[in-house]
Amino acid sequence: MPEPDRDLSRKAIAQALADLADTGHLTLVVVAADGVTAFLLHRDDNGCPRGRSWSATWADLVGERGWDADPAGTREAVVRASRAPSSSGEVILVAVSSGDPKAEQALDWLRAAHPAAQVLRAEPPIAALVREVMADDPLTRSYELVVVLADPGSGRPRLTSRQLFPLGSRPGARTRVAVRCEAAGPYGTAFAVVTWQGPAPRLLSVQSAPLVPGRYEVTAELVRPGRVRFTGLPELSPDPRDWDQLVSALPDRLPGGVGPAHLVCAVEVCGADDQVAERLSRARQVISFASGELGDLLRVSLLAYGAHSYDPSAPELPVRVAAWKTDAGEALDALDALEERGAVAGGYPYHPHAAQLEDMLAVVVERLDWADPTPAVVLTVGGRPPHPARTDPSRLLPCPHRHDWRKLLALLRKRQGTVLGAICDQAADQAHQAWHGIGAAALAPLEAVDVRGLAAALGLVTPSPVHLPFPLLDETE
Amino acid sequence: MQPEPSRGRPDHNISMWGAPGSGKTTLLAALFIALTRRNDDWKIVGSDPASSDYLIDRTNALSRGKVFPEASMTLERYHWTLIGPAPQKTGFWGRKAKPGPPARIGLSMIDAPGGLFGTGRRPAGGVSAPDGAGDPRRQELLDNLERSRGIVFLFDPIREFTFGDAFDHMHAPLTRLAERMLASGEFTDGKLPHHIAVCVTKFDDPRVLETAEKRRLLTVDLDDPYRLPRVDSEDARELFRELCQVSASGNADMVLNALDQFFHPDRIRFFATSSIGFYVDRRTKRFDWDDFQNMVPGEADEDSRIRGQLHPINVVEPMLWLGQRLAAIRPATEIS
Ligand SMILES: Nc1nc2c(ncn2[C@@H]2O[C@H](COP(=O)(O)OP(=O)(O)OP(=O)(O)O)[C@@H](O)[C@H]2O)c(=O)[nH]1
Ligand SMILES: [Mg+2]
Repeated sequence: MPEPDRDLSRKAIAQALADLADTGHLTLVVVAADGVTAFLLHRDDNGCPRGRSWSATWADLVGERGWDADPAGTREAVVRASRAPSSSGEVILVAVSSGDPKAEQALDWLRAAHPAAQVLRAEPPIAALVREVMADDPLTRSYELVVVLADPGSGRPRLTSRQLFPLGSRPGARTRVAVRCEAAGPYGTAFAVVTWQGPAPRLLSVQSAPLVPGRYEVTAELVRPGRVRFTGLPELSPDPRDWDQLVSALPDRLPGGVGPAHLVCAVEVCGADDQVAERLSRARQVISFASGELGDLLRVSLLAYGAHSYDPSAPELPVRVAAWKTDAGEALDALDALEERGAVAGGYPYHPHAAQLEDMLAVVVERLDWADPTPAVVLTVGGRPPHPARTDPSRLLPCPHRHDWRKLLALLRKRQGTVLGAICDQAADQAHQAWHGIGAAALAPLEAVDVRGLAAALGLVTPSPVHLPFPLLDETE
Repeated sequence: MQPEPSRGRPDHNISMWGAPGSGKTTLLAALFIALTRRNDDWKIVGSDPASSDYLIDRTNALSRGKVFPEASMTLERYHWTLIGPAPQKTGFWGRKAKPGPPARIGLSMIDAPGGLFGTGRRPAGGVSAPDGAGDPRRQELLDNLERSRGIVFLFDPIREFTFGDAFDHMHAPLTRLAERMLASGEFTDGKLPHHIAVCVTKFDDPRVLETAEKRRLLTVDLDDPYRLPRVDSEDARELFRELCQVSASGNADMVLNALDQFFHPDRIRFFATSSIGFYVDRRTKRFDWDDFQNMVPGEADEDSRIRGQLHPINVVEPMLWLGQRLAAIRPATEIS
């Protein structure tokens, strides 16, 4: 039934658009006094309505020959101009003017060609009406913001999405979301909106801006289908990266400290005074750096070991546990005391070529809580080899306590989440073979320590620079 | 060299012979301790005050100070007497032994810097004084060798691993000695008249002990409370030959040839010797294969020290063998 009411027309068109399936087409043929205009509407990959239009005047359609000269030809030209596919897709005929004979004639022909078509009567301008309807189309997909979450098991970053607008949302809808942004590299942090269809997300839009790392309260507003505006951030600009590029920019670790850790620093305090001082200062650097990155997630232990005495009348200094599982501050205080004391166990009857490394390992093995899943990083700073458990070709005297460094190292390596690192007086190719085990994860030479690189290799922090392409979901709210 | 107190004492002259650092002086220093650790009745006494002082000083330095002697710079002569148990019914040394009074063997020991045994063509380690061919000490050493009838030759396998110069330190003096003996008509059967005790030193070093162990040359004396491994004299020659295989110069086997050329087979005896012996834990009082090294290395500029008590191995034996053999052959000569 023809209906002149503009509002009714809008509703009818909106309903037809809402019913439009992902693969379907909706054709609107507007018949006016001067000619026909066809609007072809469909949904794009993200479910957003898209439209195109073609217009033709009567003169365009019949040319020189005039409206009535060849009625069959004119009819055919009119039907062709409607562009409506004959078989599939819904067709709506909109009559704009009433009473014009050509228009009425054309409408009749079109009705005959599309017998199932709705016929509406409406006031111009129809193009504006179609645009309004399209802009007001409720979402046919959920819109979601791409965010990074730390995997609770591994602590590794994982991509996920946080819903901004559910199915059916209309323009004007707003959602607030709290995110943390990290240093993000040259393109900045990308605010990517995806729609979900099937197993894979589909990128709808991506805008980015270099942001000062920190927490942001972001408001997302649905402007119209396919367009989301973010406020609460500096101005965003289009990001040239496609979805694959963005995903591949995701690092395999999160920046900054990776989580709680127990740093066990063991320092050889025998030998030349300046060397002992340098070892202690390296330990200080690493402890300070790790504590700066991890804050109170870091526990620190500090051990000092020297040389064995081989004269029973000169009892040796045992391995000293200067701090155990304390905070960094307390451990650094203990380090002050070690620095104050300086080198120990020099000269006869202390062995000059090896140290109580194996005793130190035994203490660590005994002291570590084997049920505690917190990663433990055992960092040894020294230079001498350990004593063998028994006389061997090295001719180093055996450990008086018969500790076997190989067995102790194997034990430590078996412990879940235990990482072994070392700072050795000698370069790696000159270090005693034991140091390659003691520094299995990282072996740095004393004279040149890249503290961040070492901490990263030991898993205390992520390698620098880590760029996080997407915001991290802040779940603390 | 010290003035020779010629008091008509019958001494058998014995010369220590070996490359620098082969352990000559340490061996002498350990002699007193070695004797006290034996449970037979042999003892050693100085035959003059200087020799007694030396015994006391060295013994103390070694066992209490735990230090090795310094490298020798001069030729030293010590006069000691080994006093044995009273011989039992049949004479210890055959017909010449008289029952009753304890056996005495007078020893006049010559300890020279090892460098003097070198070829004289190049400086040898351990000696800073000039020791070229014209060095008067070299002449004196040869004089002494000529006069002595017993030689303790020290072969240092550790030095041989690194320098391989044992042959050099044996060959030059040996040929000179032969020259002189020939001239004085004492090279009669084509052999030198000397007895030679060849001591493979530093038997306590893991590399030496391991070689002996690999060749299954080790025995343990059942009477030894410490159960220290040792190599019987009969097997020591094989140990010597085995150690020659790893000589740095490959010349070590020539030492063996030279010994056979110049000495009568009856007058050569091999010993696997260690002046300091193996480390024995004071509580367990047993040799422990896992921990037997008795030296603590020194810092860069310091010498090694002795770790525990000394348990000299085959230190007395070469002296006794020489003393007994020399005493059996002829009465001790007067020292000139
Ligand atoms: N392992 C081991 N080393 C020894 C032994 N005796 C001596 N040494 C080592 O060998 C070094 C030299 O020993 P000396 O007794 O001075 O040698 P030497 O033959 O008198 O040397 P020169 O006087 O230089 O000719 C000592 O400082 C020790 O390091 C031993 O029984 N066992
Ligand atoms: Mg000497």
